[in-house]
Amino acid sequence: MAGECENAPQNPGRVTLHRLNRAEYNATVRDLLGDTTQPAKDFPIDDHGYGFDNIADVLSLSPLLMEKYSTAAERLVNDAWTRGAFNSCALDPLNPAPCAHEILSNFARRAWRRPVQQEEVDKLMTFVNLASQHADPPEVGVRLALRSVLVSPHFLFRVEKNAPPGSTEPYTLDNFELASRLSYFLWSSMPDDALFAAAEAGKLSDPAEVEAQVRRMLADPKARALVENFAGQWLFTRALGTAVPDGTLYGAFNEELRAAMRTETELFFAEFISGDHKLKDLIDAPFTYVNDQLAAYYGLPLPGSPTHKRVELTGHPERSGIFGKGSLLIVTSNPDRTSPVQRGVWVLEQLLCSAPPPPPPDVENLPPPITPDMTMKERMALHRSAPACQGCHRLMDPLGLAMENFDPIGRWRLQEVSGAPVDATGDLPDGAILAGVRDMQSYLKKDPKLTNCITEHMLTYATGRGLSEADHCAVKDVADKAEARGGRLVDYILSIVSSSHFTQRGAEEEQTP
Amino acid sequence: MSKKFRLSRRTVLRGTGALMALPLLEQMLPRNAHGAPGTVPRRLAVFYTPNGIHMQKWTPTIEGPAWELTPTLEPLAAVKNDLLVVTGLANQPAFPDGDGHHAAATGAFLSCAKVYKTEGNNLRVGISMDQVIANHMTATRATRYGSMELGIDAGRGIGNCDSGYACPYANNIAWSGPRTPVAKETNAQAAFNRLFAGGIPGETQAQIEKRRAYGKSIIDVVRDDATALKGQLGTSDLQKLDEYFTSVRELEKQVEDVSVPSMTCASGAAPIVSEDPTAKTKAMMDLIILAFQCDLTRVATFMLANARANKVYPFLGLSGAHHTYSHHQKSQSNYKALATIDKWEVTLLQYLLERMKSVIEVNGLSLLDNSMVYFSSEIGDGDSHNHVNLPIILAGRGGGALTPGRHIVYQQDPLANLYIYLMQAMGVPNVTTFGDDGTGPLPGLV
Repeated sequence: MAGECENAPQNPGRVTLHRLNRAEYNATVRDLLGDTTQPAKDFPIDDHGYGFDNIADVLSLSPLLMEKYSTAAERLVNDAWTRGAFNSCALDPLNPAPCAHEILSNFARRAWRRPVQQEEVDKLMTFVNLASQHADPPEVGVRLALRSVLVSPHFLFRVEKNAPPGSTEPYTLDNFELASRLSYFLWSSMPDDALFAAAEAGKLSDPAEVEAQVRRMLADPKARALVENFAGQWLFTRALGTAVPDGTLYGAFNEELRAAMRTETELFFAEFISGDHKLKDLIDAPFTYVNDQLAAYYGLPLPGSPTHKRVELTGHPERSGIFGKGSLLIVTSNPDRTSPVQRGVWVLEQLLCSAPPPPPPDVENLPPPITPDMTMKERMALHRSAPACQGCHRLMDPLGLAMENFDPIGRWRLQEVSGAPVDATGDLPDGAILAGVRDMQSYLKKDPKLTNCITEHMLTYATGRGLSEADHCAVKDVADKAEARGGRLVDYILSIVSSSHFTQRGAEEEQTP
Repeated sequence: MSKKFRLSRRTVLRGTGALMALPLLEQMLPRNAHGAPGTVPRRLAVFYTPNGIHMQKWTPTIEGPAWELTPTLEPLAAVKNDLLVVTGLANQPAFPDGDGHHAAATGAFLSCAKVYKTEGNNLRVGISMDQVIANHMTATRATRYGSMELGIDAGRGIGNCDSGYACPYANNIAWSGPRTPVAKETNAQAAFNRLFAGGIPGETQAQIEKRRAYGKSIIDVVRDDATALKGQLGTSDLQKLDEYFTSVRELEKQVEDVSVPSMTCASGAAPIVSEDPTAKTKAMMDLIILAFQCDLTRVATFMLANARANKVYPFLGLSGAHHTYSHHQKSQSNYKALATIDKWEVTLLQYLLERMKSVIEVNGLSLLDNSMVYFSSEIGDGDSHNHVNLPIILAGRGGGALTPGRHIVYQQDPLANLYIYLMQAMGVPNVTTFGDDGTGPLPGLV
């Protein structure tokens, strides 16, 4: 298909008005008010689509949530006021206007992530008069105004202005809109002063400045949001908290290990943000982070520490890359057995973006072993013997079977529970045979779909919109440029933020239904 | 719970982890009250459970008043005469395009409308019947909250939900409009706080008036912001902004309701904090009862889990997951596991019904007598993904709207017709059709 994307017209697509999700609300409040009590923890759960919970089309606003915003705003303003977050000037009871104006215009500008108009500040100032009409001091009015800023659509939504009327061409976002796209992509939060200043100076139209900002932002601890919100969903780490392995068969798993595995995957991914690794090396990077408990569980030398230490996996290549991490192995297993199908589907969906269709109704589940020592591979072979099933299972099964040496709680094993020796060979449709997880790793790294697929997931997250076939060439372009830059995570991010998908917005299209 | 003592609301809400008496401060309660004896309002509670039911152990063999409890329904013995077991209704609009039965049927669970297949863009379902009732309650300003949406499943937070159907379809049964799911509250403490928000004990009338004026001024200003924003946005953005306007309107009503004249209301308890699904569900059932008793709302929906949930319930002695079991392939061990889960679900319903029956209201009848409780699943038989022959219980007398104590068998009549009946019973005027296939109220319920 070489050349299929040459000269292909690229439409940046259109991101719908984006309500801050819970993670974004928490982080924004933290950076705006210095409050880290995570007010959104009591908000209803955000729905997700396309694998992420920051998809604007899927983020809706209900009266219940509005109530929560209103209640939170009152409490946040009271807390921040009590802590002295607004004492940059003193409200003179006889002439409160200058100080009130200063507080409100500064706050609205930061909270709304853009310059505010005089009329907007004037409107906020009316609260000071209102308080005085009710015989309350000016402070009361200022606090009401601050609350209104936090309930305003300018705060709750990321507003990107529409194209000029009648225009059908994609248009470039202004510097403030772009600053928010950058900060919500990398930090799940509002722009900081430096990014805001760059936007104010119009510098974000300059790719060199954008690159400098991205590198600065990734070095900031706030970039941990990429670990929690991007990787946590892409690599399924978030589901670890609700996994329930069978306590009888797999009682070795416990809450400390659950926490340790989560930390391991987070630290592992975080090193791709800060380090010099190629992003593709997520597949087989020969290092990890373990504490003594997790090391013993994995059969690795103990690092001699109750907290996680970085260890090289010399002599233990089976633990390299994401497939050696307990978190992924557990969330893709059934409670009482491994599921080569779930593991295979995970690889196909999250790494190759070529998910098979779901099974037809009334299909048989995995059959019970006919003889006690029947291997998982033999049972899978029996399962997919129906011609209607073979097409998909021939793609899924080998990838999952190659991971059979990991049990449902992520331990290395040579025997199944039944005592049958593990058969971790997967036979691919093209005749290739994957003998275990190492073979699968090299097979994946050679697959040209890998970089496109990583890009597709990251671009979905970066823009907060679901991609479609129409975005195929844009994805490929971003991936190719990222690889040409060096193929590190930072290269992917830079390639994304300089793409027209990120810097532009398409004109309105017809709604389908 | 009859002992009353006064505490500040803050003190009450600080208490977590233990049952405690709720001081039913009269000024906490909403403007509207039960009227004179004999005019207690009807209420509707919906209990959704995912993955279908093992029907062989659910469906009574005998039709009519002589029906006998089946193994799965056995926990409901004490309320048997308060039950209508409804067999033979079908929700044809629940069938998906291709695969995705769980999400498509959950979107259609209360809407009886065919769901548009999408991973996220252009979500579309019909309005759900509870929200039609909620709109009526809101329009008539009957209660502080038009409706209440509860659940205990916060989701796994990853991946896709069901074969090309977006997660909102799988995670919400309440839809206030075709594109807008009404998110459910999965945190009992937060839901409790909400029910008793609004009033500040000891506030004078002048203070109440001032608070209302301040609250309204905030609403006026932010609505102005939204109106000004309209001109800068495109069509798809405006759909989101519409949700904002709607929500602000609701908020405004509550702000206006800050004054709370004295009335009496039963006592309640702050929810316990627990990870156990039985305890979590009971806490939510308690909140429904509390909200009904205090007439804070008359419509409540509850989701035991999201569609296609693959929950593991080790406390039932089961190591496998619910959705996996539901594809039973006629295996006896799967049947057994399903029946165990079904029976547990029914014990949760039992808790709700028995508690409602124990609450006597000002007309001398029980809360259950004055209410209708609807229990069902998005699917009948889990293995074949059927949306016919749905497992349905209607409990309560609905203030005369239902004549329980019977097993009624229909011939795959539209589920939508049941909803038309329920909406009419709840006082919604002029509902004669509903969803894609509702043609009129289901006969035979009274």
